[in-house]
Amino acid sequence: MLYFDHSATTPIDPKVLALMQEVANTHFGNPSSIHKYGQKARAIIEKSRRQIADALSVKSRNIIFTGGGSEANNMVLQNLLYSDKKHVITSSIEHPAILKVLKHLKNFGISYTTVPVDKFGMVDPINIESAIRDDTALISIMYANNEVGTIQPIAEIVKIAKNNNVLFHSDAVQTPGKIQILINELDIDLMSFSAHKFYGPKGVGFLYIRDGIKLYPMIIGGGQEKKLRAGTENTPGIAGLGLAMELAVKNQPNAQNHLQILENHFKNKLAEIYPDAIYNGHPNLHLPGLVSVTIPSVTSDMLLVNLDMKGMAVSSGSACSSGTVKPSDVLKAMHISNQHNISSLRISFGKGNTIEQVDKLIEAFDEILKKYNRKK
Amino acid sequence: MAKRVIVGMSGGVDSSVAAYLLQEQGYEVQCVFMKNWEDEDDEFYCSSEEDYSDAVQVCDLLDLPLHSVNFSKEYRENVFKYFLTEYKSGRTPNPDVLCNKEIKFKFFLEYALKLGAEAIATGHYARIFTSAGGIQLLKGIDKNKDQSYFLHLLGQNELSKSIFPLGKMTKTEVRKIAREQNFLNSDKKDSTGICFIGERDFKAFLQQYLPTQPGDIITTEGKFVGQHDGLMYYTLGQRKGIGVGGGHGTTEEPWYVVKKDLDNNNLIIGQGHNHPGLYSKILKAGQLHWITFAPSKIPFECTAKIRYRQKDQNCIIIAIENGIANIIFTENQFAPTPGQSVVFYDGEQCLGGGIIETI
Repeated sequence: MLYFDHSATTPIDPKVLALMQEVANTHFGNPSSIHKYGQKARAIIEKSRRQIADALSVKSRNIIFTGGGSEANNMVLQNLLYSDKKHVITSSIEHPAILKVLKHLKNFGISYTTVPVDKFGMVDPINIESAIRDDTALISIMYANNEVGTIQPIAEIVKIAKNNNVLFHSDAVQTPGKIQILINELDIDLMSFSAHKFYGPKGVGFLYIRDGIKLYPMIIGGGQEKKLRAGTENTPGIAGLGLAMELAVKNQPNAQNHLQILENHFKNKLAEIYPDAIYNGHPNLHLPGLVSVTIPSVTSDMLLVNLDMKGMAVSSGSACSSGTVKPSDVLKAMHISNQHNISSLRISFGKGNTIEQVDKLIEAFDEILKKYNRKK
Repeated sequence: MAKRVIVGMSGGVDSSVAAYLLQEQGYEVQCVFMKNWEDEDDEFYCSSEEDYSDAVQVCDLLDLPLHSVNFSKEYRENVFKYFLTEYKSGRTPNPDVLCNKEIKFKFFLEYALKLGAEAIATGHYARIFTSAGGIQLLKGIDKNKDQSYFLHLLGQNELSKSIFPLGKMTKTEVRKIAREQNFLNSDKKDSTGICFIGERDFKAFLQQYLPTQPGDIITTEGKFVGQHDGLMYYTLGQRKGIGVGGGHGTTEEPWYVVKKDLDNNNLIIGQGHNHPGLYSKILKAGQLHWITFAPSKIPFECTAKIRYRQKDQNCIIIAIENGIANIIFTENQFAPTPGQSVVFYDGEQCLGGGIIETI
């Protein structure tokens, strides 16, 4: 099996796994316990927090561990329930952990404006500015899109937020290890991350909260995480997250280079066998190694199942949890025709992929495309 | 190279065992989970999620590849529209019969062939027999589970590309294999009712799609006894849920739906299971389909079922005119229901069938 679906999730780094095993085996104490076992577990959690803070050049106190990116997003949005201002501005290409949450919160007096994107999947900051109302509390725009990779003009949007005294949140789960994350330089207020997107474990992530921002907890109980997220800490997961973040940021320039090489190689080779391929997302401002490609002559479900039968894992559209493929809402928002939408695949390379593997993927494409084009 | 067979995997015990048996027989088995229905409001759940999860676990155990395909658009177009039209006209359709013809043995079959399969397989309890005169559909060996009724709209082409691995097995044997193989769904209960409605309240479901037209409930003697919520919610022969107590009549016997008077929007009910209005010896059936051959001569003697799991009833097709068959039964039939299928048999062989038009 060859894996080209790293935007869905990544394999765990062996060093991260080794650390987690050690922590799970040895340091099982409850971090809230006052004895040695508890202290050791607490120390591991705080070390992870430092690793993350150092990697992102922020303070440890700005990091709150959560059960992943969706939880971090939910926590930010659900805080609107406590706010005097009840309006949110977001974009049409956000993850369901933003869009569906907002739709749900409408039942509780929250309103929101969804700004459109252009054909590259890019938000225009002017649209954000004009959507601001007196009761706007928050702007939430993802750092980079998970389906087409387009990197959003975050710096300009933050400026607009600051000028209008509105908080800015960004779902940044796709970015670590691929591009530089500039939290301080951009003066970000809130940012969500998830460990499994950068070779860490699943079920753990964190929310960056700038100094001076007061949030209410979504999960209430024993007062962990400065009373912001109750529940006995997932010590092995948090330890793995810390190391994974350190490695991701340390290796980011190399990884970016490697991913870009794989992406270029794929595109060059595909052009040789199938010149009609169309690439979605911004041509330059996109995550390296994330390729959204439309193969107009074959629908993505056929491509996907044939690649799967050849042992190649890629993805298409937004998959429902029962495993079937629907047209992608993101591509729809980019005004890509339904015909092209259902013929689009996402290939997302990772640090373990090689040029040889990309060649094998191209070979597989070649066989499948010949088969279906011949039949036509 | 082994023959590639694609199994329609529902997450139930039958299709799981079917996949296992084919794998044992040396086929190259690929499994496909079909999603045929999407709720318009699927905000917080996908109703088929649990079934998919079962399918994943069985395929993982058997180390079989599993793919997914979404035919919900095709289902809406080709099955659900018909379902609503039939209900609107006061009839009681059988969407599962149509789903086999229009989805499983059409779009799914085409899909499987495109993936290089030589045949599809399902967990139906029915057998395929190739005779000199053509391919025949036979009843499943398990007389309690025989599903040929639901497959009677298949034709030669579909049957030539299908395998029913469970045709010669009983449900008990199938469950036993599932338990031996540690399938998590070995004791999962058989699906009942209409697949896309599932466990939901039928009335509430239908209300989402069709306007309700309340009207009068009248006895066969012409006495007004109450109000109904809309004729489409009732089926001929229905006893429960009419909302009229025994006290309205001459006896304490329960009331049954005898007729739907569409012109006046009245529900006609009669008292007692033996009410003559509930029975008929004759019926007319349209949209006839024959699996292997049409009757060689008329009148044609055979047996028939006017509902799933009914015992074979002796009958004679006395005429076929303009595609409508006139059928006379030896015994009185309880509540033949327009919209439902009448399926013809000759012993073990399922000959085909039609849609009950009028009685």
